[in-house]
Amino acid sequence: MTLARYVVRRLLQAIPTLFILLIFMFILVRVLPGDPARLIAGLEATEEDVERIRVLLGLDRPIHEQFINYMLDILRGDLGTSIKFETPVIQEILIRFPRTLELAIVAELISIAIAIPLGIISALRPFTKTGALATIGSLLGSSMPIYWLGLILIYVFSVNMRLLPSFGYGTPAHIVLPAFTLATLLMGNLVRITRASVLDALESNYIVTAKAKGLSERLIIYRHALKNALIPIITISGLQLGALLGGAILTESVFAWPGIGLLLLDSIYSRDYPLIQGIIIFYAVILILINLIVDIAYAFVDPRVRISLWRPE
Amino acid sequence: MTILEVRNLKVYYYLYNGVVKAVDDVSFTVEEGEILGIAGESGSGKSTLAHSILGLVKPPGKIVGGEIIFQGRDLTKLSEEDLRRLRGREISMVFQDPNTYLNPIMKVGYQVAEVYEAHQNIDMDKILDRVAKLFKRVRMTDPEKRVGSYPHELSGGMKQRALISMAVALKPKLIILDEPTSALDVTIQLEIIDLLREMRDELNASMIFISHDLELLSELTDKLMIMYAGRVVEYGYTKDVFKDAKHPYTEALINSIKYIRKGLLPTIEGEPPSLINPPKGCRFHPRCPRRFELCDRVEPKPISIAGRIVSCHLYGEEYGEGG
Repeated sequence: MTLARYVVRRLLQAIPTLFILLIFMFILVRVLPGDPARLIAGLEATEEDVERIRVLLGLDRPIHEQFINYMLDILRGDLGTSIKFETPVIQEILIRFPRTLELAIVAELISIAIAIPLGIISALRPFTKTGALATIGSLLGSSMPIYWLGLILIYVFSVNMRLLPSFGYGTPAHIVLPAFTLATLLMGNLVRITRASVLDALESNYIVTAKAKGLSERLIIYRHALKNALIPIITISGLQLGALLGGAILTESVFAWPGIGLLLLDSIYSRDYPLIQGIIIFYAVILILINLIVDIAYAFVDPRVRISLWRPE
Repeated sequence: MTILEVRNLKVYYYLYNGVVKAVDDVSFTVEEGEILGIAGESGSGKSTLAHSILGLVKPPGKIVGGEIIFQGRDLTKLSEEDLRRLRGREISMVFQDPNTYLNPIMKVGYQVAEVYEAHQNIDMDKILDRVAKLFKRVRMTDPEKRVGSYPHELSGGMKQRALISMAVALKPKLIILDEPTSALDVTIQLEIIDLLREMRDELNASMIFISHDLELLSELTDKLMIMYAGRVVEYGYTKDVFKDAKHPYTEALINSIKYIRKGLLPTIEGEPPSLINPPKGCRFHPRCPRRFELCDRVEPKPISIAGRIVSCHLYGEEYGEGG
């Protein structure tokens, strides 16, 4: 099987997952208290207005017909129209998502650049002060609530030192605080995973073999231990990207970063059901894609996975 | 000529709940071209002993006493860098489980090539040719293709051949084999043993062969050392030991082979002793069918008898004295 066929197969496998999610969303919106038509029409609307909107939304049709229309719309990429913005949901999402992605990628890069070296150092020197500091630091980092850390950073760097903007979007300076806040959330886990997997690799028998053939310490660590340790690290970083998108909701609201997380929060406050629904479906698709990318990255590092995935036997 | 002389070696593990004396006052020699077998049950210290020669004992294990003299140098006193230069070139090692002793994400050929890389200045392209030749010599099927295979693409026997090729690549003087066939099928075991014999003859290398398979040791080795709870209980020529075992533990082990041949499951009464709190006196006395009142009080000294070393009160001077 080639890589392309593997990707196609994986995408096909994602269809049932998405289908179940869509059914779930369909039911959820319909069992929630409140009449969407009345909500859209507003408090002062007449019965006729409400009825007109109900017909417009297709909510007067039988339930199975509604479901078919709902599915057909989604297949066409039509996630409905936002009640609040009165624009197509997909348009709102496509404007907001790149900003969140930008934030997530910068945060991920920061956390990788800091956490992986820290994890390696603390694994190579398990009983030193550096190692202990890395362990304690990572614990602190991952236990700090985003909104608290965010506020502290704003207080220090924006209010007191006046170095960085405290909120908003635009210049590269704007991304520093939110990205760093988000990265801190990830770093703790990543340090610990890196440390554990490097330690695990160093304990492996193939390290003894490498030592027994007279290989230098440096080559043993770089060529044998770290490469093997990379496998779990890749998984975690990839899965973290998913968690990042979730964590972005809080960060974006603290720093008023106009990404998709803030959009979701807004849509929940304003009961913008089509928007909520659209964002959740979009999130699901993104998570499925991230998982696929992680699996492919996996195979590039680990030949055992490569064989079981797409290499012809 | 003596290749290796181990004198009063002590390797202890410092654990939270006590000190494990895995190797406790062990002495032996290996002559040029000789195969020394080391036998004993799990936890008798034989594997620790093997690892300690190349300085591969992992913390909390530590060599706490004795000497390992190899070609006039005491290996316990060498720096890490000097030891590194020795490893794989003068003394090499083959391990028990080829499945875990090969790096799963590195091509087998490269892993073998690293032996050359570690000790010689040589082009990587040329190395791979040499590795292919080496693979042919250890009778791997399809040697040129195998160089580019990953470990999981090889059978257990093929993996062990790769590890053996690694161990013989630089024609070392001494090869330590730590249960090299225990993880393999019986038919493969025999092929590997044949290969090892062939390598010994070709390289005139000495070998230390560790196993709990006495029958295998009786066929392969020149000398045999039986270990029990970190101590040597009997050490001499393999033929002599099998013909007329002196130590009751050796006797029990050899008897167990006869049981296996009859299709029975042989056992030695009792349990292996704790190495943190070994039994007082002779460490084997709680399980010994021939123990007498001296055995649980006084530790037997190794004595020379019938051309070998035995640590047992049955043959000691103290026997008659009673105490």
